[in-house]
Formats: sequence, C-alpha cells, structure tokens
Amino acid sequence: MWKYVKKLQYPVNIKKKDPKLAKYILTQYGGPAGELAAAWQYLDQRYTMPDDRGKALLTDIGTEELAHVEIISTMIYQLMDGVTPEELKAAGMGEQYAQFGTDLFPSDSFGNPFNMTYIKLAGDYIANIESNMGAEQRARATYEHLMDLTNDPDVLAPLSFLREREIVHYQRFKELRNYYLEQKEKAGK
Amino acid sequence: MNYSENCYEDQNRNMTAMKNTMTGVNNNNFNKCNYIQQAAPADLYDAYAGFIRGNMFPDLYNQYKISRPFEIEPMNEQAGMLTYVDAYCFGAHDINLYLDTHPNDRAMIELYNQYRIESENALKQYEKKFGPITVDSESTMAFPWDWNNSPWPWENK
Repeated sequence: MWKYVKKLQYPVNIKKKDPKLAKYILTQYGGPAGELAAAWQYLDQRYTMPDDRGKALLTDIGTEELAHVEIISTMIYQLMDGVTPEELKAAGMGEQYAQFGTDLFPSDSFGNPFNMTYIKLAGDYIANIESNMGAEQRARATYEHLMDLTNDPDVLAPLSFLREREIVHYQRFKELRNYYLEQKEKAGK
Repeated sequence: MNYSENCYEDQNRNMTAMKNTMTGVNNNNFNKCNYIQQAAPADLYDAYAGFIRGNMFPDLYNQYKISRPFEIEPMNEQAGMLTYVDAYCFGAHDINLYLDTHPNDRAMIELYNQYRIESENALKQYEKKFGPITVDSESTMAFPWDWNNSPWPWENK
C-alpha cells in the first residue's frame, strides 16, 4: 500500500506564468519518457524480479517516480494557474483548454494522450532492467532539452533536481543488472 | 566484477574521444562504466548539499547547464522548516536506494538510520507548529480536523 505525504519531494514555487513552457513540460507527465510511464513500468516489473534486491529497488524507485509525477504536475499547474484562455490559445494550448480547461491531463507535448504501450515489459528481468536503464537515459536527455528551453530559475531548479535523479536511478539499475549477470555467470548460465 | 572491468577499459578509451567531440557540457561521468560505487559515509554530501543537487554521492554527481546547484530560498518560516524535513528525507531516501543494491554495507546502514531519525525529528517539529504532513501524525488530534488545511503541496500562494 502507499501512504500520502503532504509535501513535494523537492519544492516548486514558480512565480512567472508560462503556458508554452507548461506545454513542453507536459511530455514529462504523460509522454514516452515521462514520470508516469517510469513509475508504472517499475511497479509492474517488480512482481517478477528474481530476488529481494530487485523487488526492493523497483518498489523504491517506482515509488519515487510517483513523487516525480507530483512535482511535474505541480510545475504544469503553477505555469498555467490563472492564465487566460487567450494566453493559452497564443501558447498553442487552445486545444488543451477546449477539452480539459486547466485540468491536468497526461499527454505528451503534442497532445497525444498517455499510452500504456510506453511501458516496456519483456518477461525477462535482464531485458526489463535494461529497459529501465534506457528509460532513465531518455528521461535525462528530455530534462536537458527542457532546461535548454527556459532561463527561469524557478523552473530550472526542479528540472535540474529531476534530471539528477535519473542519473542516480540509472546507476542503481546498472548495479542491479551487473549483479544479476554476475550471479548468472556464477551459476554457469 | 570481472565482466564489469572488461567493458570498462574500452569505454575509457572511447571516453577521451567522446569528451573531445562534446563541447561545453560535461555529461560523461555517470556513463563511466568503470565506476563501481563503494561509498564511504564521510565522502557523501551532507543532507542539504545532497538535496539541492538531487544526489548524495559526489562522485556520481553531474551537472548540466547550470553553473552551480540552486539554493532553496524559503518564502517563510513554514517553508524553511519544511526544507529540513525535505533534506533529511532526501538523504535517507538516496541512501535507501544505495542500500537496496549494497545490502551488506554496515556503515551506510548506520548513516541511513542517522538520517531517518533526523527526518523524524524535523517532521515532528514541523507538524507541531504547522499541522500534519502525514495523516498518522499526532497533530491530527487538533480540532477542527487539521489534515485538510492548506498549504497543499502544489500551492505556492
């Protein structure tokens, strides 16, 4: 089960509205390398990990990704809070406004709804963990692209935090993958 | 361990070439294949320094674009006290992930527990003054029901 903790993992306090930037950041909510996809991919994979080490790591990183979904959602919410329909239209968010108002809807930056096929499962724990390493790298690259698209320190700070988490997660997945390959080698498989 | 070392020599040779083709951005160190982490508690950042970097491990830390990590600038006393909770929780959490893949590291288990206790203390102090962050806090004894009070995490007013 999960318990709610009524705080963000990293604070978000964006003072300047910027619906265009919100649109770019949307992809880290409901896009192919987004936090929602990462959370669900890891939490789905944990059931069939071969040992406790894998079950623990996937549970803990999957849980952290849920906290990242909340950080990204907060960024989008604050970037769009109080913006007029005119301003949304000018920022290319007219379609978004027509369908959802200013509610959050998980999509990529083009407006394609979140798609469960983003989640990579292979029925093979090495393949699964390597997918996760790929997911972390793609998310890290996306965060760098997003950082290229803004100069606002209120936005750069959480983006930079989230980017760094991808690096740490990549390292942990790599350690788990290497450990399993060593175990396989020892067992002569 | 062995198979790790092999892949890594090649990678090291490539690294120099790669660095030369990449300008302005140092994005390489987390891709170092030969990096097998052996953490010593004294080498880690302290909780706040790790928190603002998103990483407790200096040799794993890698920056992009920004010249230095952003300091947290709390708007008020409440946000200031929350920063302590954030930082200690973060320290404990990052070490938790490390321990998942290094379950036999006794010194790091001790450090985890240090941060766990610090975060519990910071949380209690915060909740005493500003109300519950978790619904199993003692602050839920307040009348009227205090759980549904602002601020919610996504609000910045």
